[in-house]
Amino acid sequence: MRIANLIGGVVVLILGLAVLFFSYQLDYYSEFGPGPGFLPLWVGIFITGCAIYLIIDVFRKQGKAEAFFKPRTRLGLKMLITIIITFLLFPLLGFSIGLALFTGFTMRMMGKHHWISCGLTAVVTAIAIHFIFGQLLYIPLPKGMIGW
Amino acid sequence: MDLLNNLYTGFSIALSFNNILYCLAGVFFGQIIGVLPGIGAPTAIALLLPLTFKANPTSALIMFAGIYYGVAYGGTITSVLINVPGESSTVMTCLDGYKMAQQGRAGAALSVAAIGSWLAGTASIILLMGFAMALARFALRFGPAEYFALAMMAFGLLTVFGGGQPVKIIISTLVGLLIATVGLDVVSGMPRFTFGVPQLLGGFDFVVVICGIFGVAEIFSSMEEPEGGELIKAKFQLRELFLTWQDWIASRSAILRGGIIGFFTGMIPAGGITTASFLAYLAEKRVSKHPERFGQGAIEGVAAPESANNAASISGFAPLLALGIPGSPTTAVMLAGFMMWGIRPGPLLFQTKPDLVWGLISSMYIGNLILLFMNIFLIPVFVTILRLPYTILMGFIVVFASVGAYSVNNNLFDVWMMLGFGVLGYVMRKLEYPIVPLVLAMVLGQMAENSLRQALTISGGSLSIFISRPISAVFLAAGILAYLTPVIRWAMKGIRRAYVDRE
Repeated sequence: MRIANLIGGVVVLILGLAVLFFSYQLDYYSEFGPGPGFLPLWVGIFITGCAIYLIIDVFRKQGKAEAFFKPRTRLGLKMLITIIITFLLFPLLGFSIGLALFTGFTMRMMGKHHWISCGLTAVVTAIAIHFIFGQLLYIPLPKGMIGW
Repeated sequence: MDLLNNLYTGFSIALSFNNILYCLAGVFFGQIIGVLPGIGAPTAIALLLPLTFKANPTSALIMFAGIYYGVAYGGTITSVLINVPGESSTVMTCLDGYKMAQQGRAGAALSVAAIGSWLAGTASIILLMGFAMALARFALRFGPAEYFALAMMAFGLLTVFGGGQPVKIIISTLVGLLIATVGLDVVSGMPRFTFGVPQLLGGFDFVVVICGIFGVAEIFSSMEEPEGGELIKAKFQLRELFLTWQDWIASRSAILRGGIIGFFTGMIPAGGITTASFLAYLAEKRVSKHPERFGQGAIEGVAAPESANNAASISGFAPLLALGIPGSPTTAVMLAGFMMWGIRPGPLLFQTKPDLVWGLISSMYIGNLILLFMNIFLIPVFVTILRLPYTILMGFIVVFASVGAYSVNNNLFDVWMMLGFGVLGYVMRKLEYPIVPLVLAMVLGQMAENSLRQALTISGGSLSIFISRPISAVFLAAGILAYLTPVIRWAMKGIRRAYVDRE
């Protein structure tokens, strides 16, 4: 966790410096008062200051902390990858089918539910998304190859 | 007389068939959300928010308010029966509620929670009517300097109530402010941090951020945690749910004290329902003649925090409606809803939208009454829902979050952004950066920045405007004091240590 905190501190520091850099290019003060760069510049200054304090604090403090990676962290990663693949497949499958397949797949992968329950849930989800969101709430969801 | 007229208007709106249905749906849904671990009130409201874009704002708010206070009731069931709080606001209930269940008194624990919540909630609504109007009248004196100082006070109070490392709370707040600045600057029309991406010109939509940071991030975090405790098999016959006379005598003062503590904690920006339940439990233990009974199944240990969390969930509407300042993540999400519907909460809301304000407040009486009956007669139904595996639920969360994010601008860019914020929220939780300050700052960011710029424009760039106006000076002083709390605590600890050494 100490290393994770250190990396977190460095990322925040980079963010603070980036904010400083980009807000410096905006007007700090305009004819009528503070400009668009006024608040971002101060936000950048404070983020940078806090990040430096945080990094120093990591070196100052000793002691055990909870580990960053837990035994079940990989499940979260699997989930993230599954979501990314689903989103990438939206142009091909459409929203309804894509999210329905995702629901069925994660039920099987994470919960080890029976294939039949997973399949049934997927079918019901696809129909529900299509009719509730698409037809009832008029959300023009992206359609896939089969027009759903 | 005005109050009675307003209440009459409110009830005539809240008692319409449509709004009763919305209220019923809200409290029922809230109760379920409270029972299900891994999904909280802000997530539920964030996921439903995009679906209410075309709904009547009053009806949608009645439903969301129902979810908010319904969640506090629902979380109790898991705290009592499986020793896993369905909501952070019911953590304290685990201590004595679960012990009571082990002693075969689950019915009494659930019952005192429901009755205490209802009594404290109803009293809180009565107080809310008076306080919210007084607050709104007071806030009519506010100018840009006061609004900026108020936002600063709210951010500062997060370091006191937020929990966790103060520097991480401040960073989280600053990142929230930063997110709020992305897009076209409303004053000059200059793009800020858009990097040539046209979809960013309008800034990040609240719905996109909230769906990701609450909805999707919660899935990643919940998956890491092992499945929660074992369900105590309790029989829920109606007879067992009634309190004995001794139970009632023991818990009535706890309900009163919990209700008062909850009401005032809920009113403080960043106070929230979790803090209220903690404070009420600690206060009850302190005033008790037998503090050793706490943690061993004391009924007051259930009555006090449960009354407090419900009272706080209702009083939290006072700063939201009267000042436009949310006191908790859930009211922050509701503020995002107000913005989505094009309504600006604040002192003028009571004059411009009395039907919305009074319809909402009146619906709380109805909602709390429905919840009381639900929690006496429908407990077995909610116990059945408790067995729903999270592996099914998470799929539906992604469905709602994706559709919600997409529906904002009807483009897939927002869906990817939502996922990005989900990852950000997950990493922040892992590194113990609190999420609430980010959300509050993001929702209040534009108001804070505009107020700051307007105030400085009025004063010709002089910062003295913030201290020359008494209300602004008080808010700012409270905010600075709140930011300095860690330093004050550290200094006090040093003084105490020096004193002990000298002894």
